[in-house]
Amino acid sequence: MDDMAIAVKPKNTFLRGISNESFISLFMITVLIVLYGVAGAIVPNFFLPRNVLNLVMNYWFTIILGIGVTFIMVTGNFDLSVGGNIAMTGVLSVYFCQAAGVSQNALANGLGLPYGVALALAMVCALAIGGINAFFVTKLKVPSIIVTLGTMMIARGVAQVVTQGAQRNTSLPDIFGVVGNASVGNTPIKISVVIMAVLVVVAFVVERKTVFGRRTYLIGANREAARLSGVKVNRHLAYLYLTSAFLAGVTGILLASEFKAGVSGRATGYEFDALVIVLLGGTSINGGFGSVLGTVVGALVLGVVTSAATGLLLSPDWQFLLKGIVTFLAILAQRYALDRRKS
Amino acid sequence: MGDNVLEIRNLIKTFPGVTAVNDVSFDIRRNTVHCLVGENGAGKSTLIKILTGAEQRSYGTIRLNGDDYVAHNPKDARDKGISTLFQELNVVDQLTVAENLTLGMEVTTFGFLRNVGTEKMIDVLKNLEPSIDPRRKVSTLSVAKKQIVEIAKAVASESEIIIMDEPTAAISEGEIQRLFKIIRGLRDKSVTVIYISHRLDEIFELGDAVTVMRDGRHIDTRPVSDIRDRSELIRMMIGKTVFEKYEPKENPSTETILKVEDVSNDKLCNVSFELRKGEIIGFYGLVGAGKTELARAIYGVDRYDGSITFKEKTLESSPHKAIEAGIALVPEERRSEGLFTILTIRGNTCVMNMDKISRSGFVNNQSEKRVTAEYIRQLNIATHTMEKETAKLSGGNQQKIVFSKCLFADADLLLLDEPTRGIDVGAKSEIYQIIRDLAHDGKSIIIFSSELHEIVNICDTIYLLYEGVLKERIENGTVIDSEKILHTVTGGE
Repeated sequence: MDDMAIAVKPKNTFLRGISNESFISLFMITVLIVLYGVAGAIVPNFFLPRNVLNLVMNYWFTIILGIGVTFIMVTGNFDLSVGGNIAMTGVLSVYFCQAAGVSQNALANGLGLPYGVALALAMVCALAIGGINAFFVTKLKVPSIIVTLGTMMIARGVAQVVTQGAQRNTSLPDIFGVVGNASVGNTPIKISVVIMAVLVVVAFVVERKTVFGRRTYLIGANREAARLSGVKVNRHLAYLYLTSAFLAGVTGILLASEFKAGVSGRATGYEFDALVIVLLGGTSINGGFGSVLGTVVGALVLGVVTSAATGLLLSPDWQFLLKGIVTFLAILAQRYALDRRKS
Repeated sequence: MGDNVLEIRNLIKTFPGVTAVNDVSFDIRRNTVHCLVGENGAGKSTLIKILTGAEQRSYGTIRLNGDDYVAHNPKDARDKGISTLFQELNVVDQLTVAENLTLGMEVTTFGFLRNVGTEKMIDVLKNLEPSIDPRRKVSTLSVAKKQIVEIAKAVASESEIIIMDEPTAAISEGEIQRLFKIIRGLRDKSVTVIYISHRLDEIFELGDAVTVMRDGRHIDTRPVSDIRDRSELIRMMIGKTVFEKYEPKENPSTETILKVEDVSNDKLCNVSFELRKGEIIGFYGLVGAGKTELARAIYGVDRYDGSITFKEKTLESSPHKAIEAGIALVPEERRSEGLFTILTIRGNTCVMNMDKISRSGFVNNQSEKRVTAEYIRQLNIATHTMEKETAKLSGGNQQKIVFSKCLFADADLLLLDEPTRGIDVGAKSEIYQIIRDLAHDGKSIIIFSSELHEIVNICDTIYLLYEGVLKERIENGTVIDSEKILHTVTGGE
């Protein structure tokens, strides 16, 4: 009966032919274009090409984090530890790299390790946070929102202790500040943005084309059925948490390099920005549904709103409010559109 | 008021593809214990669901004390005088006995609780079972005492009818006797009990009248004293079941593929058997006999003591190892264990053997589509596109997709746990044909089922399970004494 009804009534053939994920991405791109048009109409100079470029460039770190968080949320889990992990990895990379015993000031003395070793060691620490997440979520079956809330504070705490609640920015070799500030050729495009772009492409391919990507969706769609269908659920989740921690670590090192400083308060709230863009991108908080492409669109939506607010010379306090309202409306509209499509 | 508290006339309930209750009419006399029996799928549960308001009838009338009775939900049913003791008890563990008794009937002033009616409730409970302290937390009570709390609540809310769905399934022998005493006492309180049980001896011990149902139809309603013995009741339940479809294999293989030795865990007790290549064996038993647990043990989901050898290798305890070794499971709970309902048919079909449609970790979409199309054709899955969400398919088509998953896994041993539960007759016979074809192609199959005719129709060897113990092994093809089988699996010696 049901089959027949749909067969005789082929309305929306174009939209019917695509997956629900693509539908949401298209929907959010429409939202993005509308918002962009509105912002352009009321904000002076909004359409300048440099502005468009800035939209992407200013959000490279949120997008990198969003990649890991998207995959984890597709399995039906959370990762709130990424912001703290950025601070910790950044601070540790500075501490490991700072010259040893050169000053009376404790914050000016580090371990004096060679640059490469310092970064590698900092990445090991970043992965350790992912390891803790994976262990508690898979082996001890603690809900991921609790586990990663814990590791978020642990990582932030390490950053605070190592910097005594402030920052470390002296006795660093020149090379430390290179990667975060380098640009591609003569363009204003930073290496960090290129890394982001590469990661997005890789993530997109993994999500759409690989067995690993498929299994991520299976776990989110039905964890028990996935297990009974031979998916090594625990191992898979562990890989995802390690990947997310790796991405946070890379971001931490890039940001520390950009400012040539390890700041304990760096990336405060980034875990929530990442969460917001993932949700704006249409990923379901219950798992089994979502896409990295959607997350990128989500970041752009957030970017348009923020820069429009800046262009209108609104104070940062108002920006927060505006971001909140837009997020809320966009997600409501999205759910409504998806329900309409499904029924 | 007449003698009958409940009169059911021409009751019909249809689901898409199935008539669960088919033109049922019978009366229930006031102040009696009225038993309802029948095999799984006979229509008992649907009938009860209509009475309690969990389902709405398609046609027919029900009169309670001569007045038309319709319940829109279980609370509505209770307000009108029909309470139910479900198998999953409806008590709140964290509250005390007294709080549970008044739950949902609290009297409040401006939202603050007032102590009204609690005394009466507690009196009823004291009357039924003095040993239960109303101040105790319900979580500290045994299942039997929780049942008594629920009965007290039903009595105190002046229910005329209390439906009890297998109340003895989870309680001990001593507790059963105490429960029976309470049930007999209810008659004196003007309460009619509708009693459902698979344990036939209880019917004779407790019942005043019995209604037998089979395949959705009403077979007979009689005073229990008019029924000679257990075997007469069994005959009414199964009718003249003709098992004509079974055809024995022409050249049975002698190669043993699976050897289960002394497998025990908390639901199984020293289960041992062997399975030959190309053989179909069936485990028959009622709900709770340990069928699902045995399937899960073989598949490596649950732990066990003992050993299971497949193709001369000891099996390791994990589903993905079982799949690698060549075993696939069609689980009992299709929607929660077998299917990814939010994914499409294409997204479901190949999941148990991704290696076959991928190369160095990359999925080949073309071969995935080809395979899916092939299974849709082969298993005759009714859909116009493979991109349809599986949640929107009928039960039979969903089950066919679970089968395609397992077939694509290239398993040599298929474990089928209730393979035709909740699907319509047409799809059932299609699935039987699939199973026979698989065995013909040399696959070995174990079916776990609580439907006897299904087991007898397709299995070469039948094992009877009762409370985790293998009671009997029967070679099919000989004369099947279904009465004796039912006698065994209902606990008869």
